[in-house]
Amino acid sequence: MATTTAAVTLTSDLMSTNMSVSATTTCMKAGTTADGLDQMEYGYVDLPTGDEYDLIATTPTASKASKLYIKNHSTDETYFIAITQNSQAIGKLYGGDWMFIPADFHDAAGDIAITANGGINKICYALFHEGTALVTT
Amino acid sequence: MPTTTATVILSSADLLSDELSLSTTMTLTKTTTSTGIEDTTGLNRKKITSTAKGTASGQVTLYTADDFAAIPYLYIKNLATTAGHRIHVYDDTTSGDPLQFQLDAGDWGFIPMHGDKTYKAYATNDPTSIEFMVMGQDQ
Repeated sequence: MATTTAAVTLTSDLMSTNMSVSATTTCMKAGTTADGLDQMEYGYVDLPTGDEYDLIATTPTASKASKLYIKNHSTDETYFIAITQNSQAIGKLYGGDWMFIPADFHDAAGDIAITANGGINKICYALFHEGTALVTT
Repeated sequence: MPTTTATVILSSADLLSDELSLSTTMTLTKTTTSTGIEDTTGLNRKKITSTAKGTASGQVTLYTADDFAAIPYLYIKNLATTAGHRIHVYDDTTSGDPLQFQLDAGDWGFIPMHGDKTYKAYATNDPTSIEFMVMGQDQ
């Protein structure tokens, strides 16, 4: 079994005492703690403005686990990408921001689409999953 | 000015033929500026007792639409330890309450949100504990 770990640490001096929140998860297949996600897609692309693009080229299999990481590597803090799932807005990443979401990208409609704003945004993404429906040529 | 950072590390020694190690840190700032955010809900821990969306009670509201100025950052974690005890996060503002994220036991998520939608959570098991926090700029 492949073992992939995702860890997050949040630190802040917003409050009267310093805050540090950490969480770690091993990326597992749906409904099990014994078998890890064993497939991934990874990309680092320039995203031009003007159109909406599917970020994930394949479609993860229904009812199976997927974890998606996206980072906007743009250095201009006014640039951003808008992210939708099934045509519903789920997030907005300005230059330097990242997101990590466990979700069920179950079909073509449930796919992730992104739109660049401000200029060409440079995007890094990784999808960890347990199976996809490949697109035939 | 407060400084708030979020670091993610994705790693695996055996998923690929070479070791995977991806790490990045972001500083949470007010939109289109380099000024740090100043507000947070603080860390919350609650029990979800609803097993469906749209029922009268038992769901947990993670974020109320327009409570923060864009961009509010949402951290969520499913504290369940039994596989299959999933938490479903849905958009309570949009017609049809579309699902947004699904967290199995132990899963966490970090999402820079648009900020104009109310997010609620229900679970497949009653009760399921959730931990969450919103950071951003109150308005």
